Amino acid sequence: MANTQNEDVMLRMRGIKKSFGSVEVLRGIDLTVRRGEVLAIIGPSGSGKSTLLRCMNRLEEISGGSVEIEGEVLATTTPAGAVEYTDAATCRRLLGCTGMVFQQFNLFPHMTVLENLLEAPVHVKKRPREEVLPEARELLAKVGLSARADYYPAQLSGGQQQRVAIARALCMKPDILLFDEPTSALDPELTGEVLKTMRELAAEHMTMVVVTHEMAFAREAASQVVFMADGVIVEQGGPEAFFAAPKEARTQAFLHNML
Amino acid sequence: MEKLMDTVVLMLEGSEVTLEIFCVTLVLALPLGILAALGRLSPLRPLSRFMEFYIWLMRGTPLMLQLLFVYFALPMVGILLPDIAAALLAFTLNYAAYFAEIFRAGIQSVPRGQYEAAKTLGMTYGQTMRRIILPQVIRIVLPPISNETINLVKDTSLIYILAMNDLLRVARTIVQREFDMTPFVVAAVFYLAMTAVLTWGFKKLEAHYGKYAK
Repeated sequence: MANTQNEDVMLRMRGIKKSFGSVEVLRGIDLTVRRGEVLAIIGPSGSGKSTLLRCMNRLEEISGGSVEIEGEVLATTTPAGAVEYTDAATCRRLLGCTGMVFQQFNLFPHMTVLENLLEAPVHVKKRPREEVLPEARELLAKVGLSARADYYPAQLSGGQQQRVAIARALCMKPDILLFDEPTSALDPELTGEVLKTMRELAAEHMTMVVVTHEMAFAREAASQVVFMADGVIVEQGGPEAFFAAPKEARTQAFLHNML
Repeated sequence: MEKLMDTVVLMLEGSEVTLEIFCVTLVLALPLGILAALGRLSPLRPLSRFMEFYIWLMRGTPLMLQLLFVYFALPMVGILLPDIAAALLAFTLNYAAYFAEIFRAGIQSVPRGQYEAAKTLGMTYGQTMRRIILPQVIRIVLPPISNETINLVKDTSLIYILAMNDLLRVARTIVQREFDMTPFVVAAVFYLAMTAVLTWGFKKLEAHYGKYAK
């Protein structure tokens, strides 16, 4: 029983610490993400949510603690306090299990939508273009942008760009998809289409970690909600209990302000 | 009329040297400039410091002085280069330094998110540079590169002092021999023609690389 549970753990973080210079942004975070789970991370700005997410795929290097992806150690801290990342090849393989969607989309502006999707599968995974092409077109259909395959990112709205970014991440077939405030840079009327795409992914049991300010999304689509403040996890729970009856005073105050 | 034709034929021969210096310098200095820019931006302190020094040295001294140095001073320490090679060495080192600063500014103007997106897609540093960053840099740097390239056309006339028969020297020789100013006018037309071709070419390039911007 314990064994099958371990197999289901996609990401495990223990005692994560992260400092920028003398500023301690994360002060000991423990987090587990299981297969098919949608984990929403909420909290006031400056609470360390995005930094925590970026520690999951090594966009930031941790200052302490350990990260495991699918049961394998990505980074660990020696008893002497030194952080050690695993060898380059293993890192590459483990990080390949993750995909990321950014607040600012970060599409490649000199490539068409379709080329954005094909880039990594063809040049990183070295798969034949003809083999990836139908998958890429299928993903574009899934995010509702088949008709925009040959457009450049600058010709699309923010919501469309973000849906392309999701399709681009999916084209690498990640096991875990990380979202860093995916709707924060969008005009309010455009957030709906991106959230709809994310809800569809959640319904397909894609494992997702979502840093967000969208309380409605967290309530409806998340299976776990984590509330962070000042670099620690203040409260965590299933969405019904979390939103209906938050235990901690800080959580209550935060939710009161947001709703 | 016949005299004018003779002048033009002589000056076409002079243009060959000018064009050779121009083309070879461009072909060598552009990639060298990219490498120097990457070195300048490298986290390896000694490398970035060395590039900083090289760029300072090349931009801080006159190209004329650099030409004279390579041509007259290097032989004194036993490095004897053929005329054209000496000129090319000085031109390439000088222009690579200017190109390096243009490329550095271009590379730094690409948002960090582009590197992060490439990284999360598993791309290596080489792939990220080659496939993601540099294609965007090209669009940004085309106007300043075009500027420098046009400067290079005219700077080739500096090899005049190394007694190589470039366009300007041929023109002056004829002027002195014939007491006729026409060759200077012809030379100006030649330089203008080369610049016109370059301007047109860069316009095409800018349109090509600008097609993805709204």
